[in-house]
Amino acid sequence: MAAINLTKMDKEIIQKIIDHGGKGITKCIQCNACASVCPVAKAGFPLYGRLLFRKIQTGHFEEIIEDSSSWACQACNRCTEICPRDAKPFEIVFAFRRIQANELAISTSAFTPLMNLHATGHAVYSEASKELRQKVGLPAVPVTSIANEKAQEEIRTLLDNSPMGELGIF
Amino acid sequence: MAKVGVYVCHCGSNIGGVVDVEAVCKHAETLPDVVVSRQNLFMCSDPGQEIIRQDIIGGVVDKVVVAACTPRTHEPIFRKVLEGEGLNKYLFEMANIRDQDSWVHANDKEGATAKAKQIVASAVAKARNLLPLEDKYVDVTKAALVIGGGVAGIFSALDLANMGNKVYLIEKEPSIGGVMAQLDKTFPTNDCSACILTPVMVDAGTHPNIELLTYSEIDAVEGYIGNFDVKIRRKQAYVDWEKCTGCGACADACPVRTPNEFNAGLDNRGAAFIHFPQAVPKKAVIDMPNCINCGGRTIGSEQKISKKTGKPILAPCERACPAGAIDRSKVADPNGEIIDVKVGAIIVATGYKVMDKDKFKNLAPDSPNVLTALQLERLISATGPTGGQFLRPSDMKKPHTVSFLSCIGSRDERHHTYCSRVCCMYMIKQAKLLKEKYPDLEIYMHFMDVRTPGKDFDEYYTGAIDMGINIIRGRVGGIDMLPGDKLRVMGFDADLASNIEIDADLVVMATAIELQDDIKPFAQKLSLTLDGSGFFKELHPKLKPVETPVEGIFLAGCCQGPKDIPDTVAQAKGAAAAAAVPLAQGRVKVNPTISEIDREKCSGCGICEPLCPYGAISMIATDAAHPRARIEMTQCKGCGVCTTACPSTAIMLHGYTENQIMAQIFALTA
Amino acid sequence: MEKCGIYLGCNIPFRAPDIEHSFYKVFPALGMEIVDMEGATCCPAWGTAPSFDIDTWLAVSGRNITIAEDKNVDIMTGCNSCFGVMSEAKHLIDHDPARKKTVDKNLALIDRKYKGDSEIYHVSHVLYKNIGIEKIRENVKYTLKQLKIAVQPGCHILWPSEVMAVKEKNSFFPTILKELCEVLGAEVPHYSKLNACCGMGAMRSTDQVRSIGLVKEKLVNMKEEIAPDMIVTTCSSCYLQFDGAQKILKEKGEIDFEIPVFYYTQLLALCMGFDPKNVAAISETPRDAIIQKIQSEARLLN
Ligand SMILES: Cc1cc2nc3c(=O)[nH]c(=O)nc-3n(C[C@H](O)[C@H](O)[C@H](O)COP(=O)(O)OP(=O)(O)OC[C@H]3O[C@@H](n4cnc5c(N)ncnc54)[C@H](O)[C@@H]3O)c2cc1C
Ligand code: SF4
Ligand code: SF4
Repeated sequence: MAAINLTKMDKEIIQKIIDHGGKGITKCIQCNACASVCPVAKAGFPLYGRLLFRKIQTGHFEEIIEDSSSWACQACNRCTEICPRDAKPFEIVFAFRRIQANELAISTSAFTPLMNLHATGHAVYSEASKELRQKVGLPAVPVTSIANEKAQEEIRTLLDNSPMGELGIF
Repeated sequence: MAKVGVYVCHCGSNIGGVVDVEAVCKHAETLPDVVVSRQNLFMCSDPGQEIIRQDIIGGVVDKVVVAACTPRTHEPIFRKVLEGEGLNKYLFEMANIRDQDSWVHANDKEGATAKAKQIVASAVAKARNLLPLEDKYVDVTKAALVIGGGVAGIFSALDLANMGNKVYLIEKEPSIGGVMAQLDKTFPTNDCSACILTPVMVDAGTHPNIELLTYSEIDAVEGYIGNFDVKIRRKQAYVDWEKCTGCGACADACPVRTPNEFNAGLDNRGAAFIHFPQAVPKKAVIDMPNCINCGGRTIGSEQKISKKTGKPILAPCERACPAGAIDRSKVADPNGEIIDVKVGAIIVATGYKVMDKDKFKNLAPDSPNVLTALQLERLISATGPTGGQFLRPSDMKKPHTVSFLSCIGSRDERHHTYCSRVCCMYMIKQAKLLKEKYPDLEIYMHFMDVRTPGKDFDEYYTGAIDMGINIIRGRVGGIDMLPGDKLRVMGFDADLASNIEIDADLVVMATAIELQDDIKPFAQKLSLTLDGSGFFKELHPKLKPVETPVEGIFLAGCCQGPKDIPDTVAQAKGAAAAAAVPLAQGRVKVNPTISEIDREKCSGCGICEPLCPYGAISMIATDAAHPRARIEMTQCKGCGVCTTACPSTAIMLHGYTENQIMAQIFALTA
Repeated sequence: MEKCGIYLGCNIPFRAPDIEHSFYKVFPALGMEIVDMEGATCCPAWGTAPSFDIDTWLAVSGRNITIAEDKNVDIMTGCNSCFGVMSEAKHLIDHDPARKKTVDKNLALIDRKYKGDSEIYHVSHVLYKNIGIEKIRENVKYTLKQLKIAVQPGCHILWPSEVMAVKEKNSFFPTILKELCEVLGAEVPHYSKLNACCGMGAMRSTDQVRSIGLVKEKLVNMKEEIAPDMIVTTCSSCYLQFDGAQKILKEKGEIDFEIPVFYYTQLLALCMGFDPKNVAAISETPRDAIIQKIQSEARLLN
């Protein structure tokens, strides 16, 4: 790999991360504690917490915006619990996700749960569940939004009026 | 009419970079009684001082205002200039336009300049009203108190004693020695800690000028530099130390088993115990909260005679003592004994403690094979619980793989943000000692980064790499407990850019250095303050590193901040030298900016007496019916509380008189 | 607390309704009335609103919380992800006035008001803290004596501990689920990867191979270190992962064993004598044999 000229990098992404909820990005001292216990790192994804933060700190953007590692973050918050700088690494990973999401730099498979959420109030839903439920002696549908017009309208109102509504997903 | 000179300092760019010094100077010229107003890049420099000097010599000014930094460090410098030219040095006023202005308003140049003008105006208003004051002197008690008998306290005490001063060395434990006595060997030369410390402990114990008071604590401190009155509480040992020979028979006989602090809890001791084999003094104590009063022999209980044997019933400790030093029939005050001493100076050398491992929940604190580094020192020490054999606690088997974790509780916002400074080095020491003795031991050291700033330190570290010790850059986030008492250390190797796992038999963690939990009330007794990191605060981080805000009280060793033995000893000797100054001078100056009572005006109401935080005021009966307040000048700190409270306005605070302060207020509100 | 709002989420009602049914059986029998949260939606799952916009996340979570608030009950969830999403949302809303303001504004669009007086608990918290080990002991019919359980508390119930209403003594070495299983008579030995992640959740949808890799590590670790008769979890996501992945791994020849998986209340319901047709009827990894064993005459307590 060619040398990275750090003086030519665009640090705008740092502010973007902060704006999307990753306040701790400037606190990270690259100690690697988060990576040492992070399922994303352990499972072998290329862009786990600490490294992602370094890329951001050094102004990488184009190179990482399409990387899907951040979408493997389990939100387990092991990192939050142990980061010695209290940088809240999980929040930074999610801030990066939000930037990716709002640039629509995400896998199309991420859209199905969103459309489900918009349509039924549930990210995960399948018609087959009716049969399963009856099999175990429950009514075909639960009391949740799935059978509740008003609830579905409410969730649509919330989503349509949010910044997500402008992305054209729903 | 006063002739006030105003001298405005740029303080390099500290003030000049924010405040328009020229404008402040110009403004000063317009103030009443100001005859000259000048500026300089560094007013405190020789040429800067010379400007003032010349104005005094030429008779241009008779009162001086310097607008610069803080009087805390620089007032004495400028007062000396006045004094040198025969002007009373209290005809000087300092306007702090740096700490209170340019530093805080760095982003508002205009506002800062306007504020500087006001501050200078206020100082000038006061200067016009200043009156000459005379310094007073009191005699000094030629004795010193050293609190804490670790390596710092021992060296301070020895230096002061060797200069011919009487020294009281107070240690709360039964023996002096501190943490260094617990160490196996010491970096960077690997000399045996006991071998180099024990002779010095003996020196301190036998020095004709040192009165060693161990198992003792400070109860109260009153007074001031040159004349501190100290109450020392000698804790109740329940053993007659005159008779005790330190043979340890009582400790062997005592059935109680309680964690042994000296071995960092790795083994147990009796309620009757001797601190450690090389103790100075080597005397037994009975730790009463843990004593179970065998045979019903509570302290002070009447002796009973056994019906069976016809002999007196004794507790095992009493029975075992060949010197007759333990007599549980004797009434003993559980509070111990109070000893009053008078000293001219005090050195605080109370050291530190290391954090316990149980705060670090992700690091398997419940495993017996996770040790603090101090526990490892004891584990590998010849005087430790295993006689120096390297065996892991869970099963007393020799470990094959050891992981060292750095910065546990240090550089961590959940605990302490500071670097504990000695851990990198002592961990490398421990690893090297182990590797030397057991070459097939696998050692992994996990660092955030390795810090070795010190003479011969980095060579010491690279030597460890040469020996095959694995250095890994990356903080460890977790430890799993495996069957067979093994531990899975989950780390990260930054250079490999990979998660790593180490199956370790033993994990050693460098837990942070911090002050004792009860340090606050202790600090209060001495009117000392702690800094943001929780250590004792020195007067100035660079220029007054052993002095404290309380004149006559000095700091030495880790109580002031984490440091290794070389730095501790250096500071201890520095503190001794600083404490020796007033003792050698034989008298100390009393600040004249203190309060004084006008006997004529005092009505004898007594309101002021309880208000004085320093107990400097007493009511003295002039004649039978008329008490009058009196201020002990050596005790008054010039805080002014009494001045504001006196309904008869009978109290004047020199240097802050009513008309001086009112003049300042008018100037500020003009 | 005698009643509690039951927040179902998505996975439980639509993929594992036998877990849902086990709630309806177990809680009333232990004296805890269950209150339906009509119209509750997805929490919203980490991969949805929380991955796009914080305020939208808080609005959706906030809306769910208001359903319980309006009924004057606390919330109990059976899914760790829902628990994590809503606990963090509540923490943010309660501790960040600016966020709270936006939530208020958004919820006003649908005529709802967030008050902040319903606590969020996990099913295991209610069992452990409110009902209590003793009450469970008294209601168990079948004992699990001589059966070995590997417990899987799951991540979102453990961290970040700051936001949770009920905390483990040490979240890295959790004991609540262990104690809940021990009271059923089972042996619950420690295994070294106890607190490791199962790989479900976002990782499963992002990269199935890597996700299954994590659960395999965990399965092999359990098998090697303690050889359990079953895996018991209080997380519906972990449940689906452990149950489903074994089939995949076995088909690929990556493991040569099968360990039945239960959601805790399923197991509890079985021990209390409820019909497995209701409470433990759907699974990829077979568990009929162990169910029969559990509800065998020999295990009846008098
Ligand atoms: C694991 C470990 C290994 C180390 N290894 C090395 C090494 O190899 N080389 C090296 O240079 N440094 C080493 N150090 C650092 C070394 O321990 C310190 O530099 C040194 O002990 C500091 O001495 P001190 O006198 O300031 O404090 P301490 O040793 O703590 O002594 C303070 C004394 O004051 C007493 N005391 C406390 N409070 C009171 C009170 N209120 N009244 C009366 N007495 C009181 C205490 O009982 C104690 O005896 C190591 C530290 C640790 C933790
Ligand atoms: S634990 Fe915190 S400081 Fe360390 S690398 Fe991760 S985010 Fe950075
Ligand atoms: S929350 Fe995400 S980044 Fe943090 S440890 Fe868990 S998986 Fe890794």
